[in-house]
Amino acid sequence: MKKILIVDDEEVIRILYAEELEEEGYEIVTAGSGHGLIEVIEVEKPDLVVLDIKMAEHDGLDLLQDIRKDFYNIPVVLCSAYSSFKGDLKSIAADYYVVKSADLSELKQKIRMALEGHIPHQSTQE
Amino acid sequence: MHIEENPHDVQAADLIVGIPSYNEADIISFPTQKASEGLVKYFGSKNSVIINCDNDSKDGTREAFMNTPTEVPKIYLSTPPGVTGKGNNLKNLFRKSCDLGAQAIVVVDADLKSITPRWIKNLGEPLFEDFGFVAPLYVRHKYDGTITNNIAYPMTRALYGRRVRQPIGGDFGFSGELAEIYLSHENWTPAIAAFGIDIWMSTIAMCHGKSICQSFMGRPKVHKPKDPGESLGPMFVQVVGTIFDMMIDRCPFWKEVRWSKPTAIFGFGLGEMEMPPPVDVNIERLYDKFQAGFADYGSFWKEVLSANLSKKLSEVKELSLAGFEFPANLWAEMLVDFAVAYKHCKDGKQKLMESIIPLYFGRTCSYVIESEPMTIQQAEELIEDQCGVFEYSKSYLLNRWFE
Repeated sequence: MKKILIVDDEEVIRILYAEELEEEGYEIVTAGSGHGLIEVIEVEKPDLVVLDIKMAEHDGLDLLQDIRKDFYNIPVVLCSAYSSFKGDLKSIAADYYVVKSADLSELKQKIRMALEGHIPHQSTQE
Repeated sequence: MHIEENPHDVQAADLIVGIPSYNEADIISFPTQKASEGLVKYFGSKNSVIINCDNDSKDGTREAFMNTPTEVPKIYLSTPPGVTGKGNNLKNLFRKSCDLGAQAIVVVDADLKSITPRWIKNLGEPLFEDFGFVAPLYVRHKYDGTITNNIAYPMTRALYGRRVRQPIGGDFGFSGELAEIYLSHENWTPAIAAFGIDIWMSTIAMCHGKSICQSFMGRPKVHKPKDPGESLGPMFVQVVGTIFDMMIDRCPFWKEVRWSKPTAIFGFGLGEMEMPPPVDVNIERLYDKFQAGFADYGSFWKEVLSANLSKKLSEVKELSLAGFEFPANLWAEMLVDFAVAYKHCKDGKQKLMESIIPLYFGRTCSYVIESEPMTIQQAEELIEDQCGVFEYSKSYLLNRWFE
């Protein structure tokens, strides 16, 4: 079972995402802030991180850079109520960017694509 | 065979800046100076050299380069008289890089007007941190780089799974190890010897499992303006032909790729990005050239395209300029059909490739109309959406390629 870490400072969002994604067959762990996020990832070893951007105490785009320094290959789906952060070049380090909506179908689709994503290590031609 | 001038008798180098050129006497001094400043400022402890790899230019490019005052030694390399092509220049650079035992090679265009010393740092530094290939990341005007935006970026991303925004940017860095791989490559086509070299190098890096990063340049790419009507045809055929050649060559790799992954980023924290200068596009001319393509290639396209795509194309033909739209999914699947036709084509590849150009004008016209009211950032999102369409069309590619 794939494990997803949801990082969002709104409890109602964490609960909603957890319930919906558990129904999809994922194991869910949550974090209410970016405090100690790297340690959480080290302990929980998630297969994917769903990361809010505009949190009370942390900027998700800065957290994304921290994740990329230590865990380059973990897929990260940015999830924000605002589409404007797409304009920040830091956001291209994420696998996908989803604008929050009551309909979670796009989020589920991007999570599936991020987990399915595959690039062979090396061409057999070389 | 090549011509070499090495007045400082440089026999070894850790880091090389290569500047390919052909008749760039009026401007090559500027990037040469900035390269020297960058090497001194950011790589003072490294043994560096600047190499101009030229096509035996007759306009004084060699003199302009060699007479540029620099703290870093310089070497002039040239192809023999009559031999042109950017790829041939870079092949000389690969060879020289191997001879000098370089760990890292940075390449910048000879006609760059916006290069700063920091470009050398950003393209070179990741190569000393275990990256094998560094692609540039700069803000471009929404109408600049339409071959990149509508073909090279979405196709390489969908095929090889790496999101490299500027796979034919012209400015890049690569490791000495990768230079050896490039040099040893046997399938050296006339297109690779010319403008196909950039996409070829990017694709080899992607397929070889080399760690790739994109580096923020901080400034937009500003270079000597070229007349697209004059230079587009050969460049288009060489770039897209190389993409198709690589599809045949690298099929075992790309058929295993699913979706795409972000590429590592280097050079955050450069502050505000400078906006690029405006680019004028003549929409009417693009539309007219698209329509003219039906007279030249209409029946030929019906042989290449599936019946369904031919029907959709006929519908697009009937649209007036005011309501013109060439959908991204139609464009993506058409390129698949052309790639499949290219794979099976024994004679007439040149005609096949040239016949794509009016369709490319049609797609570009549609993109320009759609993005006209958009900011550069909004247009960027449009390109990202198009990439998603190309990734979704991968299943169509797999079906058609192996049928």
